[in-house]
Amino acid sequence: MNKFNLLNINFGRAAIYFILFLFAFIYLAPLYVMFTTSLKDIEEIRSGNLMALPIDPTLYAWKKAWASACTGSECKGLAPYFWNSVRIVFPAVIISTILGAFNGYALAKWKFKGSEFLFGALLFGCFIPFQVILLPMAKLLGALGLANTVTGLVLVHVIYGIAFTTLFFRNYYVGIPTELVKAAKLDGASFLKIFRHIFIPLSTPIFVVTIIWQFTQIWNDFLFGVVYSGSGTQPITVALNNLVNTSVGGKEYNVDMAAAIIAALPTLIVYIIAGKYFVRGLTAGAVKG
Amino acid sequence: MGSISLNGINKSFGSTEVLKDINLDIKDGEFLILIGPSGCGKSTLMNLIAGLEDLTGGEIIIDDKDVSEESPKDRDIAMVFQSYALYPTMNVARNICFGLEMSKMPKNEQEVILKKVSSLLQIDHLLDRKPGQLSGGQRQRVAMGRALARSPKVFLFDEPLSNLDAKLRVEMRTEIKKLHQRIGTTIVYVTHDQIEAMTLADRIAVLKDGELQQVGTPYEIYNDPVSHFVADFMGSPGMNFIECIVKDEKLIIESGGEKYELEIPCKDAINNSKLDVVLLGIRPEMLTEIQPSVEKNSYIHQIKFDVDVLEPMGADTVAIGQWNESEVMARLSPESGNAAGKGFDLQVDTSKAILFDPNSGLRIR
Ligand SMILES: Nc1ncnc2c1ncn2[C@@H]1O[C@H](COP(=O)(O)OP(=O)(O)O)[C@@H](O)[C@H]1O
Ligand SMILES: [Mg+2]
Repeated sequence: MNKFNLLNINFGRAAIYFILFLFAFIYLAPLYVMFTTSLKDIEEIRSGNLMALPIDPTLYAWKKAWASACTGSECKGLAPYFWNSVRIVFPAVIISTILGAFNGYALAKWKFKGSEFLFGALLFGCFIPFQVILLPMAKLLGALGLANTVTGLVLVHVIYGIAFTTLFFRNYYVGIPTELVKAAKLDGASFLKIFRHIFIPLSTPIFVVTIIWQFTQIWNDFLFGVVYSGSGTQPITVALNNLVNTSVGGKEYNVDMAAAIIAALPTLIVYIIAGKYFVRGLTAGAVKG
Repeated sequence: MGSISLNGINKSFGSTEVLKDINLDIKDGEFLILIGPSGCGKSTLMNLIAGLEDLTGGEIIIDDKDVSEESPKDRDIAMVFQSYALYPTMNVARNICFGLEMSKMPKNEQEVILKKVSSLLQIDHLLDRKPGQLSGGQRQRVAMGRALARSPKVFLFDEPLSNLDAKLRVEMRTEIKKLHQRIGTTIVYVTHDQIEAMTLADRIAVLKDGELQQVGTPYEIYNDPVSHFVADFMGSPGMNFIECIVKDEKLIIESGGEKYELEIPCKDAINNSKLDVVLLGIRPEMLTEIQPSVEKNSYIHQIKFDVDVLEPMGADTVAIGQWNESEVMARLSPESGNAAGKGFDLQVDTSKAILFDPNSGLRIR
């Protein structure tokens, strides 16, 4: 009887693992194909099996994707656009995160007349689809003289991101006891000093969450990038699209694959490094005194 | 110096009135206890004194200066919170010195104060720890240390001991009393524990539904309460309340199957009030076993008492029975408690009995 049970459990276990592995395989298969294809030369791709390992691995496709593939009329690879993305993402992430932290702190702990309404209105910003703001934003950027500039794209991402970053920080700070603020006020600390000395040191998890979120959102953005950038200021997502769609001679799948991986690499790395903080930050409970 | 005058304080949150016309003068160096049931507005009053909430009406004077409009940091007040509210990311030393740091006191002066405060509270060995690594009692001390460090004019304590276990609570209570005797600073102390109130207070202010019921010394509050509410709140076990019919300036009670007429001290009051039924208030310690040594007078009665339940408390035993179908508690010595049962002979001393109007709950004098 006992033995039978044991077998049963093992069988169930095995079934679960089988299904898990199956799904993991299905999910990872495209990545595998991308990676192996990027290491093959075009002959091998044409003649060989899609799933086969490369016979004679070469970095040709990677080098070309990075430095010399054609994206439209230019043939400088993804490199310039990669740096464009970096120049957009870093300021946009930093500014929107800092503003979100301030907003969240004020909305959570310094309630004023209308603060709940303001928060509701900001929240509404999370649900506005990108497409709706395209035209008015284009007008605004034009009026500010920021059309087709990196600065303009940073501004767009900051504005669009504030709703999310504020929501994250506000909800995190609501969980911090208000008595800490009262005690600090009696100790003579000001609005900013309380933020700096008491709230910032408690905020590592939510900073990590917000930064990952904003980084992925902005790095992966295509729509704003394609609409508001000029020919020299396109982010990598737009360049990737152009690269894949530009065919001089035959289609070079290996170069396309390498380019796609290059474009996705930064977000992958961020997740691998900080992913566990992301989960931890989302579930972090109230702070005990 | 640290005298406080609360003049006609009102506080509303939206349309709910939380405090109604509070008038109270607290003398310099006084230990004033603010007591009342949960939700009666004690914390709100503390927040108002500290400047953490805005007044709806009235004024607050500290040392002859109207501070009603001043911000918390300009009032020179320190507060100890029920949850301690220690800064979780700072160690104990920085928690204690944070206020000094904010006032830009030089580091070496901060050190001197830190040494003094931490040795006074015996927390020298904890200075490097974070609040999360402290026990409840230690956190309590650190919270007090933070308040002490700034040597303010006034200390506010909002239920500081209610998160501690019973034994620690008694210890800390004694320490707080000693501390007050040593430093002599004005303390306003909120509690809903009547023993804390009795043991610590110079004066007690009883609050109910945002209204001050009575302000007086512990003796006055205990022996001369103005209402059924105040009388009921103070004392453990609490005062006995029995509805009695009045007959010829005496009160009729039925106990142990027999009727008795109780002689009571405040005869004029009964006559003036013209009530046929009054609420008799008498403390359990006035109901004892027969004590031959006590001199007989008209207020000493011998009454048969059917004991339903006995509750030994160690030093004495509480016997519970009924008078006029109201529950009544008597306080017996453990020895006579053992023997108590149906028809136990009780000695009832009515010399300190007080009377209330059964409808309004107010004292009849
Ligand atoms: N910020 C607030 N907004 C609305 N109502 C409040 C607020 N603070 C306290 N109250 C209400 O005021 C009353 C008194 O609260 P409080 O002073 O905390 O009582 P206590 O400390 O005596 O238990 C309660 O009914 C509470 O719900
Ligand atoms: Mg309270």
